[in-house]
Amino acid sequence: MKLSKNFTNPLAANNPVIVQILGICSALAVTVKMEPALVMGLSVTFVCAFSNLIMSLLRNGVPSRIRIIVQLVVIATLVIVVDQFLRAYMYDVSKQLSVYVGLIITNCIVMGRVEAFALGNKPWDAFVDGVANGLGYAFILVLVAFFRELFGSGELFGIEILGDWYTPNALMLFPPMALIIIGCIIWVHRTINKDLQEK
Amino acid sequence: MAINKNSNAYIIIYTVVMVVIVGALLATLATSLKDKQDANVLNEQKVSIMKAFGEADASFDEVVTMGRLQAGQFAPVSEAAEVAEVFAMLGNRKELSEAQDNLPIFQMEKDGVTKYVLPIVGKGLWGDIWGYVALQQTEDNVMITGIVMDHAGETPGLGAEIATETVQKAFEGKKLYNAEGEFAVRMQKGGAQNEYQVDAITGGTKTCDGVNAMLATSIGKYASFLLAEEAEEECCCGECCEAEANVELNNVEEE
Repeated sequence: MKLSKNFTNPLAANNPVIVQILGICSALAVTVKMEPALVMGLSVTFVCAFSNLIMSLLRNGVPSRIRIIVQLVVIATLVIVVDQFLRAYMYDVSKQLSVYVGLIITNCIVMGRVEAFALGNKPWDAFVDGVANGLGYAFILVLVAFFRELFGSGELFGIEILGDWYTPNALMLFPPMALIIIGCIIWVHRTINKDLQEK
Repeated sequence: MAINKNSNAYIIIYTVVMVVIVGALLATLATSLKDKQDANVLNEQKVSIMKAFGEADASFDEVVTMGRLQAGQFAPVSEAAEVAEVFAMLGNRKELSEAQDNLPIFQMEKDGVTKYVLPIVGKGLWGDIWGYVALQQTEDNVMITGIVMDHAGETPGLGAEIATETVQKAFEGKKLYNAEGEFAVRMQKGGAQNEYQVDAITGGTKTCDGVNAMLATSIGKYASFLLAEEAEEECCCGECCEAEANVELNNVEEE
């Protein structure tokens, strides 16, 4: 019961991007097309899940004075692992994501979950929490990329969807448009979840 | 006795062990994936060269002759070690921009037409720009038949447009030298006026200046070779042809 709540909560009601407003920087940068957005989302999910798992396993041995450094080392290692694998097996996507893969290290969602959840919970719970938060982030990225690629290029995953009649709107490809779309998603989300509205 | 987890000794041992484990792990990973990553980079270079030739679907290894420019002559390169050296040079933009001799050059013959692809490197507004340009001899000039360009960090929508097909297509068919024999091909602010000029990108003037400088210096290094080829063709219509004709005459007389 608790586990399933752990999993579903970050996907909607407590989504890291649209409720906690974390990870916005990369959400603006890599959402021009669906493919890089999806790969970025899955990469963050991987890093978030395993950093949570590893830190949860280490939680009783980590000296509290250097716990932030230990967290950073674990996260940075996982990010390098992801980066190396992308370079080897998904070279094109890795080029499109460029520095943003490396910048997963600075993604507040990852470190936030490690600090707030993994250090005080059992490994399996922490792992599920990491996966859920990563997927919550990935979901928003893909949603934003869906609108940007569809209306900005008339394509989805590089396949033409809207025909010749549609003139691609280049404005959608610029970063400010990602912010506006995220704003719209937050608007819809808060309209549905009235308890999130600030009085 | 419980260990004091906040003692200095514990912290130092903890960090040392952690760093050794992480270091070993990453070193192993990087070494094991290196071959695959290098192959990706190599493949990208080959694909870019084929795009410049305008034969994106053809296989580099089958149709292209690799070479280096030695003393103004095309010297084919075929040994594996040398081939690797040329590709390593293409991957090292600093080395490529400083090199004056032994420059990489790629040759492809199709339907009796010989085209050459040269690597080009330069500086845009924010960082490096680079690419490949395909050239073909015409009767009295050298013509660009294709170009691919890429950049490290030009402004999206402005300078970064040099990496788009629209801008690159505009270079096709442009002549390198004007009537006075000066290097004339350039991206012209205000729009192309003649057969040497290409429309510059509005808002991307600095990047376009970088492209102009890149073309002038990178192609300039090959000038002796390109102009020699041109001269050779001219010669063929003059003295050489007479010489050939004489040989033929002699043959006839012998018969």
